[in-house]
Amino acid sequence: MTIEAPSATQSTVDAMVVQHQVEQFLYHEAALLDSHSYEEWVALFTDDAHYFMPLRRTMTRRQLHLEFTKPGEMAYFDENKTWLETRAAKFATGTSWAEDPPSRTRHLVTNVRIVKDDGHELAVHSNFLLYRTRLKNDVDQWVGRREDRLRRVGTGLAIVKRFIYLDQTVLQSGNLSTFF
Amino acid sequence: MTDVPSVVDRLDDLVRLDTGELDRRIFSDQEIFDLEMKNIFGRAWLFLCHDTQIPKRGDFFEAPMGSDNVLVVRQRDGSIRAFLNTCSHRGNAVCRAEEGNVRNFMCTYHGWTFGLDGELVGVPGKSIFYKDKLDLSKHPLRKVAQLDTYRGFVFATFDETAPPLEEYLGATGRLGLDLIAERGDMVAVPGVQKFTVQTNWKFTVDNVFDYYHPQITHMSAFSVGLIPAPPDDFVEGGAKSDTGANLEVPFLPTDLHNFVVVGEYGHAISGPDQESLEVSAGPEPFAWRHKPEVEERLGRHGGRVAGHPHIFPTTWVTTNAQLSLRVPRSPDVTEIWWFSFRDRNASQEEQAASLDSQIHFFGPAGMLEQEDGENWAQSTLQTKGLQSREVPQLLKMGLGTSEVVKEDGLAFMDAPINEHAQLWTYHAWREWLRNPSWEELRERTIPRDRY
Repeated sequence: MTIEAPSATQSTVDAMVVQHQVEQFLYHEAALLDSHSYEEWVALFTDDAHYFMPLRRTMTRRQLHLEFTKPGEMAYFDENKTWLETRAAKFATGTSWAEDPPSRTRHLVTNVRIVKDDGHELAVHSNFLLYRTRLKNDVDQWVGRREDRLRRVGTGLAIVKRFIYLDQTVLQSGNLSTFF
Repeated sequence: MTDVPSVVDRLDDLVRLDTGELDRRIFSDQEIFDLEMKNIFGRAWLFLCHDTQIPKRGDFFEAPMGSDNVLVVRQRDGSIRAFLNTCSHRGNAVCRAEEGNVRNFMCTYHGWTFGLDGELVGVPGKSIFYKDKLDLSKHPLRKVAQLDTYRGFVFATFDETAPPLEEYLGATGRLGLDLIAERGDMVAVPGVQKFTVQTNWKFTVDNVFDYYHPQITHMSAFSVGLIPAPPDDFVEGGAKSDTGANLEVPFLPTDLHNFVVVGEYGHAISGPDQESLEVSAGPEPFAWRHKPEVEERLGRHGGRVAGHPHIFPTTWVTTNAQLSLRVPRSPDVTEIWWFSFRDRNASQEEQAASLDSQIHFFGPAGMLEQEDGENWAQSTLQTKGLQSREVPQLLKMGLGTSEVVKEDGLAFMDAPINEHAQLWTYHAWREWLRNPSWEELRERTIPRDRY
């Protein structure tokens, strides 16, 4: 297989602009989360949004298609926008002790690929590393991938769908009091 | 060096029923943990999984039993067996998946192959290397001593002298499981949540009965309406924030009307009675209970339970058709496993609503349980300080004020929020650690007339 050097045609330039817009959007979103601006973050979702993190199970190669649970089965997160707003409101109560003192988080987003663009919505895949420390020496690291559907709204983007696939089966952390 | 008395000799000092005090060493001492593995988890009937998780021949689920892991396997004849996940040859796990479906279990080390029934059916080089001198029938996977189901819930024990499952559960344990089974034709929702808390398992168990903590620990969940609280029933609770402000804590009708059941072998139930919970939560969540046949099955007292049943040592039944298993991995590491159930005859909308609430209350992202882990982890950590561990653990609430009524095979108390069930659990825990005969154990865990 050979990879041809792209010539800077107009369509390539257009694709790079879209790629740039999408990446900047994801970085902006990550910055909101790391600064605990949860209500602003939730505002990036459309009213019909679906935010989902399935369970994962160690399965044999032959049964790997059953590795993740599906919507309608048990999950860690299965949220509409109202639930996301409720979670954000909970963090803002001042009595959400799991985040007081607040965790220190860093959302690193990489491998951003636009796998589909119909002009209205984009399917975007990315990898993430979410690093969290708490108190004196608690450390959690979550690595995984996300499948997003982003919608063009006005001059920007909004999240219609986010499915989060963690690279753990038995979670190694005591809770998931954060967003991915 | 002075002679340190063995743990068994110090048990009376570790759990004081008269004063409601515990010695904090029990939450981090390795010797105690080892004794728990042997005398409790090596003998008790332990929950493994639900019948509907392994419906087809060859379906399996790996479950913890104390310090061991067993494979629970659906047999060709429809029965269920469980055996240790360790090859009889050189010890390798014969199955690496958490669940799935197989025709055989083949060890990936040398290829010894076991049937669904755990029998050794294939050994590479049986003739050439072993000269046909290996008796395959002598090397099956090691089976549990007894396995049985109660209304679809699969349990096993490593003790062949253990009483039958139904007798072990008693009226209290059976009632706990009935409170799931009576909701309909219950099936397991695919997917068991599993996560890891840096805590001793006993903190995760006694919290099950603790209706004193939600108003503070889960205050934020009250604030956003996840737990219904009458809006004008917030009172100054005596708690003050770090700025000196009085924290308005929710005050519920349920706080004054708790129904506590204590049972033989250490099973217990604690929490609000249904009538008072209906005042804040409304009657709708309890509609399933008001069918005549369900009311009859639960009984006049069982039907009042709206709190948390717990089957000793580590199986908690929630009010939301879930079952939580607390899995001790070491003195200060415990896994929490969540099994969830739904009525397969319920409408799509009802099933979706049930799952929605299961996902949002408990589990690592659950808006209640998010807050619990750090309390337990920090409590465990402080039991390691040479000075901190000298401070007794207190379970004094309601101590000595509640009369036990014994009817319909249940021993119960009506009281405001209290710590009877926690203390009962530690009392039973202590008796288990002494490793008595089953008859002695039963006698020592017959509830008295007052707590």
